[in-house]
Amino acid sequence: MNSQSLGPKEKDFLCAVALNALIPLARDRTLQSAYHILRGRKANQTLQDVHLYSLYPYYRLFPRITKEEWEKIILYFMNKGYINNIPVNIGSAKPSFLVTEAGMSFAEERFAFYELQKWFEPFSRELPTHDLDVFWQRLHLLVQTVSQIAAGDLQFLPVVRDRAVQQWVKRQLPDPARRKRWEMHLGEELYRLWEPLAEELQKLLVAQLSGAGQAGRTMTQLAAMSNQAPSFLQVKFRYALAVSMERLRREKAAFPLLRGLVQDSGKADVRLSDSASRTYALLVRGIPKEEIARIRGIKESTVEDHLVEIALRCPEWDCSDLLPPDLANLIVQTKERLGTSRLRLIRDQLQGKVTYLQIRLALARQQGEGRHA
Amino acid sequence: MREQLRIALQTCFGYRSFRPGQEEVISRIMCGESVLGLLATGGGKSLTFQLPALLLPGITLVVSPLISLMTDQVQQLRAQKKIPAATLNSAQSREEARETLRGLEQGRFKLLYVSPERLQQPVVQNVLKRIGVSLFAVDEAHCISQWGHDFRTDYLRLPEAAKRLGNPPVLALTATATAEVREEICQLFAIKPENVVALPVNRANIALDVIHAEDEGERRSLALKLMDSLAGQGIVYCSTRQAVEVLVSSYQIEGKKRIHGYHGGMESMERMLVQAQFASGELDLIVATNAFGMGIDKADIRFVLHYQMPASLEAYAQEIGRVGRDGKPGYAALFAVREDVQIHQHMVEKEYPTQEQVEQYCRLLASGAFPSPEQLAALEISPETAELLAFYAEKAGARQADGTVVRNVDERRIARAIIQALERRKLKKLQKLTAMVRFAQERNQCLRKSLNRYFGDEQHSFATQCCTYCGLSRDAYTGPSPGRSEEEMPWDFRRALARLLPNL
Repeated sequence: MNSQSLGPKEKDFLCAVALNALIPLARDRTLQSAYHILRGRKANQTLQDVHLYSLYPYYRLFPRITKEEWEKIILYFMNKGYINNIPVNIGSAKPSFLVTEAGMSFAEERFAFYELQKWFEPFSRELPTHDLDVFWQRLHLLVQTVSQIAAGDLQFLPVVRDRAVQQWVKRQLPDPARRKRWEMHLGEELYRLWEPLAEELQKLLVAQLSGAGQAGRTMTQLAAMSNQAPSFLQVKFRYALAVSMERLRREKAAFPLLRGLVQDSGKADVRLSDSASRTYALLVRGIPKEEIARIRGIKESTVEDHLVEIALRCPEWDCSDLLPPDLANLIVQTKERLGTSRLRLIRDQLQGKVTYLQIRLALARQQGEGRHA
Repeated sequence: MREQLRIALQTCFGYRSFRPGQEEVISRIMCGESVLGLLATGGGKSLTFQLPALLLPGITLVVSPLISLMTDQVQQLRAQKKIPAATLNSAQSREEARETLRGLEQGRFKLLYVSPERLQQPVVQNVLKRIGVSLFAVDEAHCISQWGHDFRTDYLRLPEAAKRLGNPPVLALTATATAEVREEICQLFAIKPENVVALPVNRANIALDVIHAEDEGERRSLALKLMDSLAGQGIVYCSTRQAVEVLVSSYQIEGKKRIHGYHGGMESMERMLVQAQFASGELDLIVATNAFGMGIDKADIRFVLHYQMPASLEAYAQEIGRVGRDGKPGYAALFAVREDVQIHQHMVEKEYPTQEQVEQYCRLLASGAFPSPEQLAALEISPETAELLAFYAEKAGARQADGTVVRNVDERRIARAIIQALERRKLKKLQKLTAMVRFAQERNQCLRKSLNRYFGDEQHSFATQCCTYCGLSRDAYTGPSPGRSEEEMPWDFRRALARLLPNL
């Protein structure tokens, strides 16, 4: 994806997704916030936006989109009259935007054209608790390794460089007996797993795999071969992975080998970022946040970001030390009354009786409850 | 001893005979001498430390700046079970590093690939001192030269590290170095002149072509035509990622060959797949930035095209050196367009901090400490630039032995010293660029002579054809294009899976 080589198909698809991502953010957030969501920025503001506006399918959809590409897309929308800027005025610190009638109908039409409803379905309710990339890398390397074992040739360069993934694969194949099991049954389990998928998705998955006598195709190649936008193909691919993972989790008994791919993700707590999960481990031992910052050698503000992340995703965490329940209620009520999630407005309304951290925690908690209810 | 080496070569590596230069390097090392080996990459450079690693007691260190290359080599060695090897680099987690150190203590390894910054760590040095280093190999040794095209400040600390490890024999290796850089390497590692083993720079089987174009449009159409007509597999080098993408998409409009771009902005898995496809012959053409090629072990690459000029003749020689390692005829063409010079000049300028940045940096120094990452980010100074600045600040006397900043440091004097040093480096880069430009514009002399002479080699023999100046027929390197389309068969999911997993 490069600004100079963005083909018309790719551009159309990016526009379709971008405008649909912008619609719920209109009047409330900046244009940039959608860019951060699509790139999958890990900042808390971005994650909160994702929850607040239910933009789960959009999060990290285009992790490699560049600033220039994004600006080109926005410029296109402006020129087409799909969006308008709202000038900065009192009470709103940041500029927002509007989506016009024309924009709404373009977004709707393209949404239907690309069947985004369908491709987004596995992501419609929450962020994936498991990492799709890790799942794919493990699967890819497993297939390559087992394929090489079957061919009796173990001198090969692994396509996956990540050491953690390599070690995970190694652990699955510790002795001749288990290697034999994988060799005998991996093909059959994969066949059953992907057999229900559409032919297009089967091709997309199998063509990317590597093994003895075959190097996988790249997404770029597959897009050129099928004459589609690379990003659209990526969206379908993501769908296929999510559906596969869901099925493995649901029907564990039917996939005695492959189910291992979704059992442990290699992370401490899959709901959290690596760093936040380390903070959480200290937090549950009753260590105060200043102390956590000192122990971990990170800034206190970073620890606070982690707390908000934990409040959002770990309903079992009791945060009443930092946020008494009645204060939490007050914040949520104020937010609803003002009809905004802007921290500064809420704080002004409560005349500084609350800290920003408390507001963020309260909002995160409320969203978290919404999801876990 | 020669006989002994040959037996080891046969039994451990399965080769009947040494490739040029290997035996000279290895036998000197086995006598305990320090050696500078000027061997082409892919010319069997790694054997010169791998074989001694097996024969010598203790451990052989290989210092390398290229983490991915180290990982590849270790993985290959492990897969082939030739030598117990490990790596220590900054891309590893703490646990992995600890595991490696434990393995070292237990004597489980004979060969350790280590990045220069890891080698600086006292923990690492202590372990190495205990187990005993019998050979200290330095890959890409030209990185130690301040005036080289690829200077790395952390390389300058290597001679000291070698001393602390008990002065084992040093094997400095590089593919390309001018006489000036050679001398510098020899001096820093105390290598005797008679222990310099240099392979001729001249590659007799590669024809050297320079193609002049008026502008970008002409260049593109010439290049596209050439890409389509040359026989065999080849690489096209561009100077930027954008250029790669643009050239690939323009080729794909009409080109018949299987082509793929390759640059550092791509995902690691995608890069691996492209490499694997190229290695197995599933791709005909790779259009790449200079990120492609390191560690490519492919003997039958038939041509390299330089769509844009590289920044130095060193880089040029290294990149065309990937052609025809099997000894069969190969072809290298460089496209010369006047405007490229400006792009390079601009890139050299951009590479270094501005005077203002240097002054701000020194102001922070004067406040008593080396600037923090946040402060550097605020000044828009990249980590690499920061390292360079710290290095020159240290040379100007701003650093105490314990690593802290000298009290009451004269910020203006330090800034002046740094700016002078940077100017010298910039000038050196521009000189290298000038040499490259002169080569590209050469119309009065044999290109082969001109290139080899730059590296102090007077040889200029050739196997099939020489160069544009001496007269060259491109037709000798063209051939029929392979079919582009893969056979389209009705989709059979089971069969497709069974190709990978035959027990289905």
